[in-house]
Amino acid sequence: MLWRKKTTTPTNSLGTAPPSGPGPARFLDPEVLARIGSLELLARAVVEGFMSGLHRSPFTGFSTEFTEYRQYNPGDDLRYLDWRLLARTDRYFIKKYRADTNTQCHLLIDTSASMRYSQDGRISKLTYAKFLTASLAYLLNRQQDAVGLVAFDQHVHTHVPARSRTGHMRTIFGHLSILEAGGETRLAESLHELADILTRRGMVVLISDFYDQAERLQSAFQHLRFRGHDVMAFQVLDKNEIDFDFKDPILLLEDAETNEQMPVLPDVVMNGYRARLREHLDEMRRCAAANRVDYELITTDQPLDYALFSFLSRRVGK
Amino acid sequence: MWFLSPLFWLGITAVAAPILVHLVRRTRARKIEFPALTFVRQVPQRTIRRRTFRNLLLLMLRCLALLLIVIAFTRPFFSRRSSAQANNAAGATVVLIDSSLSMRREQMFANAVQRAGSIIDEAPAGERLAVLTFGNRYELINRFTNDKARLRSILKGLSPGWEGTDYEQALRGAESLLGELKGESRKRVILISDFQASGWNQANASYKLSSDIQLQTFDVGGSNPPPNVAVTNVDAHGVVFGQKYTENLSVQLSNFSDTPRDRLAVDFQINDQTVEKREVNLNARETKVVEFTGFNLTEGANRCVIEVMSGDFAPDNKFYFTIRREAPAKALIVESAARGRSDSFYLQSALNLTDAMPYNFTVKTAGAVDPAGVSDNALVILNDSGPLSPALAENLKRFVENGGQLIISAGPHTDANSFNQSLRDVSPATLTESVQNKASESVAITDIRFDHPIFEVFRDSGRLAAARVFGFVRSQPQPNASVLARYEDGSAALIEGNAGKGRVLLFTSSLGPSWNDLPLTPIYLPLVHQMIRYVGRREAGSWYALGQSFRVAKEPKADAPAVDAPDGARLTDNRLTADGDVLVTGRQPGFYRLRYAERPDFAAVDLNTTEGDFTKLDFGAFINGVTGGAGKAEGREATRNFSNEEIESRQKVWWPLLFLALLILLTESLLAQRIKMAKLVN
Repeated sequence: MLWRKKTTTPTNSLGTAPPSGPGPARFLDPEVLARIGSLELLARAVVEGFMSGLHRSPFTGFSTEFTEYRQYNPGDDLRYLDWRLLARTDRYFIKKYRADTNTQCHLLIDTSASMRYSQDGRISKLTYAKFLTASLAYLLNRQQDAVGLVAFDQHVHTHVPARSRTGHMRTIFGHLSILEAGGETRLAESLHELADILTRRGMVVLISDFYDQAERLQSAFQHLRFRGHDVMAFQVLDKNEIDFDFKDPILLLEDAETNEQMPVLPDVVMNGYRARLREHLDEMRRCAAANRVDYELITTDQPLDYALFSFLSRRVGK
Repeated sequence: MWFLSPLFWLGITAVAAPILVHLVRRTRARKIEFPALTFVRQVPQRTIRRRTFRNLLLLMLRCLALLLIVIAFTRPFFSRRSSAQANNAAGATVVLIDSSLSMRREQMFANAVQRAGSIIDEAPAGERLAVLTFGNRYELINRFTNDKARLRSILKGLSPGWEGTDYEQALRGAESLLGELKGESRKRVILISDFQASGWNQANASYKLSSDIQLQTFDVGGSNPPPNVAVTNVDAHGVVFGQKYTENLSVQLSNFSDTPRDRLAVDFQINDQTVEKREVNLNARETKVVEFTGFNLTEGANRCVIEVMSGDFAPDNKFYFTIRREAPAKALIVESAARGRSDSFYLQSALNLTDAMPYNFTVKTAGAVDPAGVSDNALVILNDSGPLSPALAENLKRFVENGGQLIISAGPHTDANSFNQSLRDVSPATLTESVQNKASESVAITDIRFDHPIFEVFRDSGRLAAARVFGFVRSQPQPNASVLARYEDGSAALIEGNAGKGRVLLFTSSLGPSWNDLPLTPIYLPLVHQMIRYVGRREAGSWYALGQSFRVAKEPKADAPAVDAPDGARLTDNRLTADGDVLVTGRQPGFYRLRYAERPDFAAVDLNTTEGDFTKLDFGAFINGVTGGAGKAEGREATRNFSNEEIESRQKVWWPLLFLALLILLTESLLAQRIKMAKLVN
């Protein structure tokens, strides 16, 4: 498994895997992707490139699309026995088909003001989240899954219901492209609201920076899980939010949401900040694990493939 | 606290640098929108405050170190003039400001005036103040007054003079001025000077300040006198009678410092043209004589300058003098009509030996002299002439009274009665009797006034006493006559007298070999020359010392000429003599132009040569000498107020300041290093 190779790569200060892989052509830098104006093209480039790198599809199942034969074993469902082959060769083989699905997936993207952050002109968290959302939508649509989009800050302000047809992608990409960061983060309230909106069971992919209290998130996750959703959480952070590595001797930090200003000596604050952020992330992990939410921390400098690998690897066992 | 170099206070602006850096860096804190301020807020702000405090501490240390360095460069010192200031009781103070030549060095006089201004400003209210300047003599600038503003304005007009220094005269003047006051409880003399050793002669010091006068001194001369080379004297004939100067012109150069001076160029100029250059090496404290000779002179007054190119104190590097080239005058030698070799043979030989004599001599017997023609001569020598005709005697009398010069010598042909009868109106003595001894009973000329110009050149030779005199006439000098030499029996040998405007010398023995062996001795020629030169008055000096008065003769048919000072200013306050001549006192070094109608003449005035020696006074000896000992029981008090430079160099406050600044910088460095290390650890 290719994605398992990543577990051997070195980690940063918070244990997240840095972007690495077989080669630069393999993983596309988010900065490079940002130059592609169309989200559709971007998603296609990511997903096609990603898929062509795989030696075989991991999603084998019993679908209408034949994939391979295998030796019949006692106990196999006789419906999949190839009778014709048995008639010709007198051998028992089972026909395997590409898995078929009718799952609907909702991609939830946080557009609060805190998602606007980017360091030194690199792509912002929101942009990264939009890329990731577009790529996931494209990937899911390619698998004939129904994909929906929900964008929220303190409230849900954009809701595109899940559809599986190809033209639906343009609707999603169109909504994605006009999303702007703003508003406060009330993640827990928004998730509760969504849990009420998304009545049909399915997959929920949550993309946010998760700047909310873990206790409050836990109840929101429980609510989603209670509704029968399969939840996956991508916490998108800028690398500098994790490292707090500023060269300036003094900074005037302004809260993106409240506009509160605070003079800070980075070299003095750095250690304390890192410790508190690590505590928060650990709580996030515990909270997700407790609610069987697949949790993944990614930074905006990591290739999108990494998130896709992570997504698929989580989904393979479902 | 005072500061020796207050201009360095401008460096205080450097203190603003760390403050500006601090402020600029502070205001340039980059504003960043940050999403996770929640976690930043949870970090204890105490750390930040401590850092801010440390930064402020660093800033203060840097500013303090810079401030200390700036103060150190201003060279601060603590004034010890408390004794003057502590005595706040009003009294009378005489401020003595040295205005001698040596105060022309650098800003010395300006410093002295500034110091005087400070003293006036700091004087207690009601203090009566007087100001005197002094060089060789003192000058009262302002009598006692309480008007400080007036005194300050007067100080602005003061300038240094050209004279030498005489502290005794200055203190006498101050004491005399204080003596005019009655009932003053406190009397004080403040002496501001560079305190040259040449200004006070310890060996001859007998003057002491009155015991009720307090002496305070301010030295503005610094502790290290600069090196100086000066032309201290020129020995030259002021009048010559030939085109070429045949004798040696002696120039005296002195090195007043303790370091040798090599390859000093000495330039000799006549009428602004360099005629000769020499190079001289002078050892420490050495005086050397350089001689010039054989140079040509134009007719009339020649302005001569000797200049040493030493590059130090300029005023004493030049020495001015004049050499006047004149035509020789006519002179008459009258002798007796005796047979044989002329008695004037030796005299004539001695006088014609050199071209430098101011006269052309003619020898005639008494009978051959035209009485009316006597007045055509400038000098007449009656060389044992014997009896004179009444007409000749009468003409001689008029000749002398009108300013003619007369030398009379006795001899075998001199008859006392006839002499007394003919020359009683002009002779400085009446003759009494002739004395003729054997050769073995000769007498010597022993009692000689060596201070007289005729004999001063024989002061060290002693040969005059070796001459043997066999015959002479005893005489009775006139009351207004002076005896310049006597024989060993007490009889007068050489008598000087005046008659009218003329001068008469009477030698009671012969100028030939008949009554003595003088003509056979080496002393004869110089003695005769000295007598001729002296009586002829044609040997003028080549320069005058500063402060010396000189006579400017009026023109025959006009008034006295106008006189211009060396700086070009016309002198108007000249004194006139009874004869209508002008008496001029030299107050500036250089050439005084005497504006005669026919041709201009010059008189050279030179500085006091000891003034170029800047060696410091033995201060303890001086104070003891003029006060009888500082702090003695009788209440005399003398405090030396050092110059600012001396006080500063003794205190050296800048040392501990710099050391403290260094310590502060070290502390700052350690603190900064510690903060940096803490950053790295973080």
